[in-house]
Amino acid sequence: MSAVISTQNLTMTYGTNTPFEKSAVNNLNIEINEGEFLGIIGHTGSGKSTLVQMLNGLITPTSGKVLLRGKDINENKKELRKVRFQVGMVFQYPEYQLFEETVYKDISFGPINMGITGDELNKRVMDSARFTGLKKSLLQKSPFELSGGEKRRAAIAGVIAMDPDVLILDEPTAGLDPQGRDMLLNQISLYHKERKNTVILVSHSMEDIARVADRILVMCRGNAEILDSARNVFAQGEKLEKMGLRVPQITKITQKLKEKGIDLPDGILTVDGAFDSIVSLLKKEGKLR
Amino acid sequence: MKDVVFGQYIPGNSLIHKLDPRAKLIFLVIYIVLIFCTFNFYALAIPFCLAILFMLLSKVPVKQYLKSMKMMIFVIIITSVFNLFYGGGKVYFTLGPLSVTEGGINNAIIIVSRIVCLLIVSAALTFTTSPTDLTDAIERLMKPLKVFHIKVHEIAMMMSIALRFVPTLLEETDKIMMAQKSRGANLDDGGLVKRAKALIPVFIPLFVSAFRRAFDLAMAMECRCYNGGKGRTRMKSLHLQKRDYFSTVFFVLIIAGVVLSDIFLPSVVR
Amino acid sequence: MSFISVENVSFHYDNNDPERLITENVIENLNMKVEKGEFLCVLGHNGSGKSTLAKMFNAMLIPTEGKVYVDGMDTSDESLCFKIRSNVGLVLQNPDNQLVASVVEEDIAFGPENLGVPPQEIRKRVDSALKAVDMYDYRKNAPYKLSGGQKQRIAIAGILAMEPRCIVLDEPTAMLDPRGRQEVMETITRLNKEHNITVVLITHYMDEAVLADRVIVMDRGKILTQGTPNEVFSQVDLLKEHSLDVPQATEICHRLKNIGVNIFELPLDEEGCVKALWEVLK
Repeated sequence: MSAVISTQNLTMTYGTNTPFEKSAVNNLNIEINEGEFLGIIGHTGSGKSTLVQMLNGLITPTSGKVLLRGKDINENKKELRKVRFQVGMVFQYPEYQLFEETVYKDISFGPINMGITGDELNKRVMDSARFTGLKKSLLQKSPFELSGGEKRRAAIAGVIAMDPDVLILDEPTAGLDPQGRDMLLNQISLYHKERKNTVILVSHSMEDIARVADRILVMCRGNAEILDSARNVFAQGEKLEKMGLRVPQITKITQKLKEKGIDLPDGILTVDGAFDSIVSLLKKEGKLR
Repeated sequence: MKDVVFGQYIPGNSLIHKLDPRAKLIFLVIYIVLIFCTFNFYALAIPFCLAILFMLLSKVPVKQYLKSMKMMIFVIIITSVFNLFYGGGKVYFTLGPLSVTEGGINNAIIIVSRIVCLLIVSAALTFTTSPTDLTDAIERLMKPLKVFHIKVHEIAMMMSIALRFVPTLLEETDKIMMAQKSRGANLDDGGLVKRAKALIPVFIPLFVSAFRRAFDLAMAMECRCYNGGKGRTRMKSLHLQKRDYFSTVFFVLIIAGVVLSDIFLPSVVR
Repeated sequence: MSFISVENVSFHYDNNDPERLITENVIENLNMKVEKGEFLCVLGHNGSGKSTLAKMFNAMLIPTEGKVYVDGMDTSDESLCFKIRSNVGLVLQNPDNQLVASVVEEDIAFGPENLGVPPQEIRKRVDSALKAVDMYDYRKNAPYKLSGGQKQRIAIAGILAMEPRCIVLDEPTAMLDPRGRQEVMETITRLNKEHNITVVLITHYMDEAVLADRVIVMDRGKILTQGTPNEVFSQVDLLKEHSLDVPQATEICHRLKNIGVNIFELPLDEEGCVKALWEVLK
């Protein structure tokens, strides 16, 4: 597998030479694979937001490099806009960036900035509306008339419409209710499956990440503590809790049962997974037909 | 954006912090009048030293003052350059129709010193006085205006809320700019018109958000029983202390000093 | 007598938008009570009418039909409005937008100042409110430099300083990170248990509802179900049908029970679940 983005000794320090000097990202070396779904977790101040903002050149690192397909993105500042088209970024509470008269026009903003017009533009808007589950009837409405969840999806559609190779989402489910959250996560998974583009999801909800990500990067105090498959990461429950992160309840339950000597697999992430393994165990022992 | 320091309160415990905000505000007004009434270097030296004294007594790092002045450097340079060519006396050198004269240099020095003094002292005031104290002082000092049906309390409340939301909205502007840049908005290049146009995607969300915040805040204030100034009490009642009287005496002496040196020493500004 | 009683209440917003002529009821003939000293949670997703309900508890909204009584006071009586609001404090979702002043302690003084409390008394109330939310050390700070959880605790303290008997919190944790959520939830439970303040928590997080004495689940302006957290969350199918979350501990046991595994009572937390499954698997 080839890396789409990799970082070399990436470091970002705020307030250099002041008493408030604070390193947000510390000498980071990671590789993000082509087409993978990467989850980044860490609590507020762990440097995860700073990291993703460096990946599309919104923040220039104090030292180190971000390589996009092997090319340093900060080498030529004039090319940065192009980098941002390739590495699309959805911020926290993205609905606050909506500004056009209609949802359709707002979604077109990104592609138009790329110089896309005509049929291709229309296709992109329609596609991204579909990926985010926006009904066609909403496209001609003012974005300010939509409900909270719809606004959020319209804003995400605006980034997807640029058809970036890498889509970064910073806390996309923050503030949504369970219904809105489930719907949005499903849409993002669908997008990832169909487009096969790289998706990076930043979140502090372990449950969300457990549901969608292939690999997980755990950030703590500016360091990349763990980068591994979801299963292996959640198997290290104790370490995660020491970093102040919460493991999904179901993972903890199965872990405790395992400690009591019950033969369950490591790193169960979802209720479905737990249900299947418990049922097969019960069947094996003949307690269930 | 976050480097905007002018007008930011820096909590502390210095003498200047402790002075009555009303006294500080009156001092500032008189001080401004004073420095624009100085016509020679001696008369100017006194308020200049006073400004330095304020700066040191406030115990706010000098760096903060320099930072707040950095924003005004453009104004300072422009005014001093203009003043160089304005005034009579000995001619030092000529640039086409313009000539730099002794009077011009004097003018420039005086004007720049006035601006610097003004900046230092007003920064000292805003650094050491919380916006609430400041608006409170304004409210109390303007109380007599109520006779003319001016809504003093409401004006003061609006000012303090505006100040409260400056950092919040600056942060928000920053965020929206980043979000639009991510969508390929070109905010940095192009001519004036093009750049102004490019800012529409920033300003519209900003306004929408400001209205939303205003709406929320109004609701929160109503939940906390806000009903205008009527029947309202204040946690901090302002009482003049010994230090306020002392500083007033000190200030009066300064005024006298400036006025006297203005009258008895030769003026250099024409 | 109940502290708050909601009697046959319906509510719809005045709608001047010509495209939406039908004014649907946001609350539909609702009856409920809040008892003195209890910790009540109103659970439901966006559009269920739960936020509208919250605003009717402190006379921010007046029912279109029916009555809301707070300690016997009719909320539609305008002359009682401030008395009701100082008795039932409302904390809103966005912590940034409900802080008025640029210094923490001055913000907390805002409520009592409006009520005309004498200065020394305000000082006392501000200090004790700050201590109650564990933010006393931050009294001189600027709110915008605090974390979300801290800001929300300041907002709670601002309400506490009015010395209300009941606090209503409208999705106070929706915009916070897990740490902030925990801080706020700990503060709320402590106020209820130690300071004996009636708490009404409006939320869509089921893990917060689990902490309450009583849960009311709202859906489309009506009460879907209510009872103790145990009673409510054991109705897994009903909640799932309305796309509400159920604790994972409850869900796994419910599903196993459905296929005939021997589980008597559905657990709400990790510990109970481990115990129940251990009984089955050992």
